[in-house]
Amino acid sequence: MAGSLLAAPDHRALLSGGLWLTGLLFVMSWLLAVLLACGIAGLRGSRFAVLRAVAGVVVDYHRNVPGVVQIFVWYFGISALLPSGMQRWINRHDGELLLAWIALALYAAAYISEDLRSGFRAIAPGQGEAAAALGLTPWQTALKVLLPQAVRAALPALVNQTLALFKATTLALTIGVVDLLGAAVQIENQTFRTFEVFGIVSVAYLAGSWVIMAGGYWLNRRFAVVTAR
Amino acid sequence: MGLKGITLRLALVLAAGLIGTTAQADQLADIKARGTLICGTLTNIEPLGYQDAQTRQIVGFDVDTCAAVARQLGVKLEHKGIALEQRIPELALGRVDLVAAALGYTKERAEQIAFTSAHYQVPIRVMVKTAAGINSFKDLEGKRVSAVTGATTELYAKRGLPNTQVVSFQTGPAAFLAFMQDKTDGFSTSHTAGLGFLRETNGQGKFINDSLAWEPTALGVKKGEAALLAAVNGALQAIEASGELDAMWNKWYGPASKFPFPREKKLTPIEAFMN
Repeated sequence: MAGSLLAAPDHRALLSGGLWLTGLLFVMSWLLAVLLACGIAGLRGSRFAVLRAVAGVVVDYHRNVPGVVQIFVWYFGISALLPSGMQRWINRHDGELLLAWIALALYAAAYISEDLRSGFRAIAPGQGEAAAALGLTPWQTALKVLLPQAVRAALPALVNQTLALFKATTLALTIGVVDLLGAAVQIENQTFRTFEVFGIVSVAYLAGSWVIMAGGYWLNRRFAVVTAR
Repeated sequence: MGLKGITLRLALVLAAGLIGTTAQADQLADIKARGTLICGTLTNIEPLGYQDAQTRQIVGFDVDTCAAVARQLGVKLEHKGIALEQRIPELALGRVDLVAAALGYTKERAEQIAFTSAHYQVPIRVMVKTAAGINSFKDLEGKRVSAVTGATTELYAKRGLPNTQVVSFQTGPAAFLAFMQDKTDGFSTSHTAGLGFLRETNGQGKFINDSLAWEPTALGVKKGEAALLAAVNGALQAIEASGELDAMWNKWYGPASKFPFPREKKLTPIEAFMN
């Protein structure tokens, strides 16, 4: 049954195009999210109360407002405030994908930054002091001593957020990005073969999630703290 | 999680997929025995099926059609509000007997569900900005048109405008907003659904004077229920002959209504569109 659905070339093209966009959106959003999350976590640990407050508000907004609303705010709200020349440029260059990317990255960054923050808090304060005593600059301390340990402590939670982001990419279909789910919805609309279409897509998302989980499992073992026997 | 864990989980997923196929006897006999016709309509499209602001009831042309068919079958109507994406699963699982929900006929769709005779036909239009200087479908080449995911307007836009990018949104209002914000140059919509949106443009919008298709709209029945299909077709014929169907249409789409649109084509057997 599902085989005949995949046999039609236009369905295959639609699904493989969707798979590519889902992958692209996921990888790009994840990279940007991790980068932003490091920044947000850094700000939250800042000496200045104003910076801490700004980072707090950013996290609060992105964790507490539904993802669909956030994506709509970027697509219908913020983009409409841009100068009209810029709006035209965005419309001509896959604006849907671009704005979905920004919205998803910020959405995920808020969660990831919290996990990183808890990772940093898991490190004994003596570590930073010891690094300073050894003559490392604050930057060196942060990047070479604290961050690797924080990431290790936060790894299980980070895998969780990565899975959540993978599925959150489907939000992009609400603003016209034909991702894997979007392709499925279009084929369903053409053929009404609801169960088969969503069956195929469920298996695809499940397979993707399992790859992420397996990667997390491998990293967890690779970087596990080996204690003396 | 090792390989063994993955295999076990995969087996569980496959097992879950096998559960949930329902067997059904003659559905018409079930309806008669039950004394009710469960009929699904949309709940968010005026004037097909929407919530009346005063009574909080779902009303509209589709709801009236359901009621008329139930009356003809000699049973009570049990109305069920459904979403666009729910139409086919609800029929397939036998949770509704009949779907009256802006169901546009296409050959591919007819492989999955049975369509009754087409009780009305609507032209599929493309709305553009009056100031944009777009006057034909050809003028839309290389441009972008918004549509609604899960609606036939999306299909017809993709087929009728092969050199135009079709951008699909989850809801009509979102597709319309993208058009109004100039994110797309056009908005593909059925003529009837588009009239309400056209008013919202405050004179900025117009329909291109051409149609992407004339869409036959019908009621949907689960495939393989020949007795039920024949009974619903008979009911539609009876209310067409008595003028009841036209009277219902005029109540929602008549000259004095919010969405004036004449019902030009009478009840047509669905076989007429099968070639």
